[in-house]
Amino acid sequence: MALRGNWMYENNGGTCVAIAGADYCVIAADTRLSVGYSIYTRDYSKICKLADKCVMASSGFQGDLKALQKNLAAKHLIYQHQHNKQMSCPAMAQLLSNTLYYKRFFPYYTFNILGGLDSDEKGCVFTYDAVGSYERVGYSAHGTGAGLIIPVLDNQLKSPSPLLLPAKDAVTPLSEMEAVDLVKDVFASATERDIYTGDKVEILVINASGIRQELMELRKD
Amino acid sequence: MSIFEYNGSAVVAMVGKNCFAIASDRRLGVNLQTIATDFQRIFKIHDKLYIGLSGLATDVQTLYQRLVFRHKLYQLREERDMKPQTFASLVSAVLYEKRFGPYLCMPVIAGLGEDDVPFICTMDCIGAKELAKDFVVSGTASESLYGACESMYKPNMVTYYFEALGLTHGKTMEQGANCIGVQKENQYKLLEEPEELFETISQALLSSVDRDCLSGWGGHVLLVTPTEVQERTLKSRMD
Repeated sequence: MALRGNWMYENNGGTCVAIAGADYCVIAADTRLSVGYSIYTRDYSKICKLADKCVMASSGFQGDLKALQKNLAAKHLIYQHQHNKQMSCPAMAQLLSNTLYYKRFFPYYTFNILGGLDSDEKGCVFTYDAVGSYERVGYSAHGTGAGLIIPVLDNQLKSPSPLLLPAKDAVTPLSEMEAVDLVKDVFASATERDIYTGDKVEILVINASGIRQELMELRKD
Repeated sequence: MSIFEYNGSAVVAMVGKNCFAIASDRRLGVNLQTIATDFQRIFKIHDKLYIGLSGLATDVQTLYQRLVFRHKLYQLREERDMKPQTFASLVSAVLYEKRFGPYLCMPVIAGLGEDDVPFICTMDCIGAKELAKDFVVSGTASESLYGACESMYKPNMVTYYFEALGLTHGKTMEQGANCIGVQKENQYKLLEEPEELFETISQALLSSVDRDCLSGWGGHVLLVTPTEVQERTLKSRMD
């Protein structure tokens, strides 16, 4: 997206990836915050935990992301007060879509991926565009390194690609360890070729026992 | 849409152990309409030198004709084939001659040089050479190709090497290399055998063009070793 001369938005770079498994979900995002050819910080988290089993990662304009996270957290709190329970991942997915479309004519410049476990404890990944169009998929990537990563995920995940017709919505048969290894590999490759991706990658694994976080070092150039 | 995206193309070349592979897609389009599904983008200069040209199709054909003409003259004068490095310099010079009205092509050159050492390089449309030791890509699908090749190139060889050294599962190439104290450049000494290279380049090409609407409709892979040339057509998503 060409943002030169557009004072309302800024592209802070970065890449985020999510993979849904049979009983787990892996979400990862790099930790570099950049603008133009400079780096603001090497240690910025693009991932936000929205609910017990629901995590969101985004790339794009991080200012809008912070506002979006605050907005969703507030709405989630109200939901908890009214319903006495946490929001499920599919419910949060719909909420995010509506929140994004609410600002259809002055959008949040964020490309989001929502990951977590659905009500049957199966992994789910929802992928969004900037104005709220969403779809449940088996895996997704957004950001400056997404074009480099998605073909590899298509090839390696052995689960129906979103490109197949009729649309099949299935999770990958890979084990949790294999999925995490794959995510590390794709980030290492994306870091080589994308200037906005690097420093560290934050990997969150959501499964029945909770959320586990891992930080892996990437090239810093 | 940029003029480089008018016809759509994808070309990739990879280096293996005493061999190289060069592959391209087969689609020829005019903006979003597909005109042909058997368009040739990889051309032979001599037995051990191939050039793949991506970009505007008319320039692909004209440039190929000019280069083959120059090479034939060279053969007549020197009574031998051109070395790949020399040919790369020739292509670079031919492209720079048209600095202010360029051929809208990005060539990928692959050949076996002296002692059958594989050589690959790519250039931009005005002749800036980029020599690489592992792989080169070009075309509308280049971003996807960079990602796919970076991940797939030699992952098997490196894994076997690490397993042989008793390193634990779950290391990336970078971490593994750092563990065993190998400089990234040294990793390239472990090169892929021809069959493995064919598999790698085919998978990389197919996954990349599947994500690019302007390239695809099958693939064309040439695997060149000192003794033979294997040419294979790949069937992929036909869209």
